[in-house]
Amino acid sequence: MDKKLEHSFVTQLEENQNIVHKICRLYTNDADAHNDLFQEITIQLWKAFPKFRGDSKFSTWMYRVALNTAITLYRKSKRRVQTQDFEGVSFKIKAEAYDDTVEQQLKLMYSAVKDLNDIDKALVFLYLEDKNYREISETLGITEVNARVKMNRIKEKLRKILNP
Amino acid sequence: MDVLDTLKKQWQEREQQFPKLSYDDIYSMLLKKSSSVVKWIFIISVCELLFWILISFVVPDSSREFNEQMGLKTAFTIIGVINYIIFAFFLFIFYKNYRSIKVTATVKQLMESILKTRKTVNYFVYYNVISTALLFIAINIYYFLHKEELTKFLSKSYEGYGSIPQDKATMVFFGAQIIVGAVFIGLLILFYYVVYGFLLRRLKRNYRELKKIEV
Repeated sequence: MDKKLEHSFVTQLEENQNIVHKICRLYTNDADAHNDLFQEITIQLWKAFPKFRGDSKFSTWMYRVALNTAITLYRKSKRRVQTQDFEGVSFKIKAEAYDDTVEQQLKLMYSAVKDLNDIDKALVFLYLEDKNYREISETLGITEVNARVKMNRIKEKLRKILNP
Repeated sequence: MDVLDTLKKQWQEREQQFPKLSYDDIYSMLLKKSSSVVKWIFIISVCELLFWILISFVVPDSSREFNEQMGLKTAFTIIGVINYIIFAFFLFIFYKNYRSIKVTATVKQLMESILKTRKTVNYFVYYNVISTALLFIAINIYYFLHKEELTKFLSKSYEGYGSIPQDKATMVFFGAQIIVGAVFIGLLILFYYVVYGFLLRRLKRNYRELKKIEV
């Protein structure tokens, strides 16, 4: 029984591991921290897995647990250094089609997103993942209206950072 | 177009480069938590052994001479050798525990390994505390039975010792021995309680988590 549960969990996590990687990349700044967070999320997912009843998609459930872990872990370790290391995070933007200013803007935007507080960042992450407001509100446990209002505020905040 | 939306488009189009973890990589993550605790138990016990070996090198000559005069040299050598053998035996078991937890395949096996590790650590602590206490008591009984030689040696080495009345001197000597011994054993227990207790509590927590999964 437990063997089967383990197998089903690991297989599904393996398939959806990019979600966790993306969260790790947004919430950490170097490879070590990335791996630590990945492992922590894996353990939290595994602990919560018996309660996952399959009434939502595995990936949806993963977003929720993984983001919660990233947020709580982020809160716990206040000593985490907040640096913006572009080469380090290896967010390589393919810029062939764009001129330099667009690339610059994108980099600046990415840095601004990384600089957001943990909850705002979760919201933007889900937005980037093309989730609609209903999905965002379900994942983060807030109301849809609240998600919309928050997102608009964040957009405003980001716009100000980009165009001071 | 809004920059955030451009970023969104990029975010989705571009295959971000991530380390691709295999089934086994992920699986081993479920077990790693305990293996790191067991690794620390092994490392700390090695450090402890090194510490005791180091201590035996810095024992002052006067103390060595004292024990030689009291006829305890051979006894101490034998006790020391036995102690190191037992210590090495525990080290070996700790290492084996660490290896077995690292390569464990199922949650059930992991739980068994954790229980086994906890048991060995407990035995290790009992052995160290009880053997220290017994050795201490035995030595002092020996001193007590050889009071004359003790007084002779002490009055020779420490001027003025001979002038103190015999009864009083004996009382002071054994009083000091008991206090020092009690403090030492107390510190030893405190050390074990803090260091190994901390690790054991973490193992226990892991065990409970695993049990929840198991049920």
